[in-house]
Amino acid sequence: MAKAQDHDVLIAGAGIVGASVAWHLAEAGLKVAVADATGPAAAASGASDGAVSVASKKPGVMARLATGSLLYTRELAARGLLGPAYAARPSYVFGAGEDEMAAIDALIAKLAALAGPVRVCADGGPKLLPGAGAGIERLVVLAGEGHMPGHKAVRAYLAHPRITPLWPARINAFAADDSGVEVDLGGKPLRVGVLVAALGTSTPALFPWLPVLPRAGQLIVTDAGPVGALPGSLTAAAYLLAKTEGPGREALPPVVIDPLGTGQFLIGSSREEHADPTRVDFATLRHLLARAAAAYPALTERRVIRAFAGIRAAVSDGLPIVGPMPGSPRVIVATGFEGDGICLSALIGREVAGMVRGASPGAEWAADIAALAPARFDPARQECVA
Amino acid sequence: MGDPRILVVGAGLAGLAAAAELACAGHQVLVVDQARQPGGAVHRQPLPGARSLASPAQARRWRALMADVDAQGARIEIACNTRFGGVDHTGTVLLTGDAAALLQPQALVLAVGAREKVQPRPGWTLPWVTTAGALQVEIKTTSEPPAGRVLLAGSGPLLLALGAELVRLGQPPVAIIEAARPFSHPLQSLALPPPYMVEAARHLARLVRARVPVFTGAALTRISEHEGALLAEIATRKGSLGLAADRICLHDGIRPNDTGLTDSTALPVLRLGDCREALGAAAALADGRAGGAALAARLAGLPAPAASSALAREALAQARLARIYAHDSAAALAALPADTVICRCENRTRADLDALGPSPTTRQLRLDGRFGMGACQGRFCADWVARLARPDAPQPLGIPRWPARPISVAELLAAPDLTSGEFE
Repeated sequence: MAKAQDHDVLIAGAGIVGASVAWHLAEAGLKVAVADATGPAAAASGASDGAVSVASKKPGVMARLATGSLLYTRELAARGLLGPAYAARPSYVFGAGEDEMAAIDALIAKLAALAGPVRVCADGGPKLLPGAGAGIERLVVLAGEGHMPGHKAVRAYLAHPRITPLWPARINAFAADDSGVEVDLGGKPLRVGVLVAALGTSTPALFPWLPVLPRAGQLIVTDAGPVGALPGSLTAAAYLLAKTEGPGREALPPVVIDPLGTGQFLIGSSREEHADPTRVDFATLRHLLARAAAAYPALTERRVIRAFAGIRAAVSDGLPIVGPMPGSPRVIVATGFEGDGICLSALIGREVAGMVRGASPGAEWAADIAALAPARFDPARQECVA
Repeated sequence: MGDPRILVVGAGLAGLAAAAELACAGHQVLVVDQARQPGGAVHRQPLPGARSLASPAQARRWRALMADVDAQGARIEIACNTRFGGVDHTGTVLLTGDAAALLQPQALVLAVGAREKVQPRPGWTLPWVTTAGALQVEIKTTSEPPAGRVLLAGSGPLLLALGAELVRLGQPPVAIIEAARPFSHPLQSLALPPPYMVEAARHLARLVRARVPVFTGAALTRISEHEGALLAEIATRKGSLGLAADRICLHDGIRPNDTGLTDSTALPVLRLGDCREALGAAAALADGRAGGAALAARLAGLPAPAASSALAREALAQARLARIYAHDSAAALAALPADTVICRCENRTRADLDALGPSPTTRQLRLDGRFGMGACQGRFCADWVARLARPDAPQPLGIPRWPARPISVAELLAAPDLTSGEFE
């Protein structure tokens, strides 16, 4: 006889990915609990710029999934769920010098190949954007992307009445068997049908063999000014290089200027290999702000009110890890989005909820989702390969 | 070689006393202060043309300290109109203003004093409602009383001192509203050091002579605007009353001015005076001297000198004062109406806080509630938000603020970089 279950599914991690999985399962009628060591949006989801961006994704799997998730995010917004969180807005990519020109050419080719909802509506100089500065040699204007502050989306997802919040509580250990999973939640035993681990940088605590590493990015918040002066995010092409080629390959600061709904700007970001949110330095701030101000001179009239390091969960091969654990179909991971969780969370939530319920993925996404499977890091399998 | 100088932030009693000790030990010291002259809050110097209101004892203390500083000659450099932006994990300090620079000092002494606590009340954000300390600084710099009727409310010895000062300037306050009952602790009061007693007696005599009503065990519960004036609702032990004023000064005690002060592992960072522990002027002077001497010893690899007995004495006196002024501020906080503004930067109210549900996490308070997210980064509201959100177990409102204060992007970019220079 099967043991009594406390919940059908336990989601570990109340970031945007965990919250989306939880909502999709609750919507399907399952009894869902969400545990988090701190609380909702406590890590990368709460420290994000909120760009729902296809332009910044690596060509291939990530760009295709981002396209699908952008369309689905729009749908969830239209249905009301993400309405208060999501807003369509233009995005701007700028560059100077040979490497960035090439990166912009590659971006235009990528978007054309995707033939998705994101399109280039102008390609020219700084005149395309009122307020653009002399630091911009070339500017492309994109339509079709959007903005969704992570904490707002998390709040919307977790408001579902069939979701039981369990925080603050840390999962110390788990053991899966044929009919469910035993979980030690902060010293309290819990039995659930399926465990979904959306733990971000905390992933290695429960899954030591998954190569998820903290990657820090220094972020700057300015004081508030007129709302809407800059209609959308202004991204240096060096940022695309950093995302597609890996950190350290860009010669110019990979700066992103993001206008927030409050009239403030969020300006990022460096890429550093550590997990300390307080590790910030004036030299990096000046490096980022000098380029940001050259691109958008009105920034010099603002004040920096806060700087911190946002910590993202990066994976050694640059792809997130999504899927059941090898040999434990009742334990599913969804982690390592390194800042792309804002954009991918809608689609990944739906697909992971499908996995939990034993549904086979839609043909459209099967191959791309399969590319994210944790089995690619399975020590047993790697020994076989060796 | 790095910059051999020691940077002292704050040219008040603690900062200058530390600078004098360090210079005496042979160090080169750069003292910076945001004001246009040294003095800090206690010894704020009058504007050109205004007379000093300092008592003879205060004037003597300041002259003696400045003589110590002057005796060190070029070993102490004082840069005014200069603001401390913070220290980062590499040991780099940003200064903006007259002595703008990025520099890596040998050590950093933070002596940035105390700041006032002001508990939110309905109407506390209206124009002409300020802190008592703000009025005190105004009086010290202009030597003029404020125009119109002044009402002082809150709790702490500053209210009586400021009230007496207003009497002396020929402009007695309308009333003093004190939440505690400081006169009903005669035994505690008698145990205070004589200078405290002499000063309190002098203040009280002035207030009595001018017939200033002093309500104790009373609270200002609401401020509203009425026919061009401020109307204060007062709950006294005998009932409620309304008082009209042109300016209302609030004060609910002092605390270290430590918002945004972070440490760095890259260099020694010391906090001295009121920004370490708010114990008042005499303690700040003693702490500055002792801390300066201790840092000099540490840099020379010598054993730490003995702790200052003057400091221990002041700490004891301040603990007595705190008992004399003890009162139940939690009840007043709990009773705040829903429309009371808690976060002044973004106009967030008690109702906005309550809407986050029971026991919100600090992340929810910040991201969903936007408490502590404005220009002051929680400097004024964090304590109250923490206490209102979880009265039983207040949690600090997130990671420490950095940089130390809002910094103009233009100034941050323009500051000369002295970190790569060669020093001999």
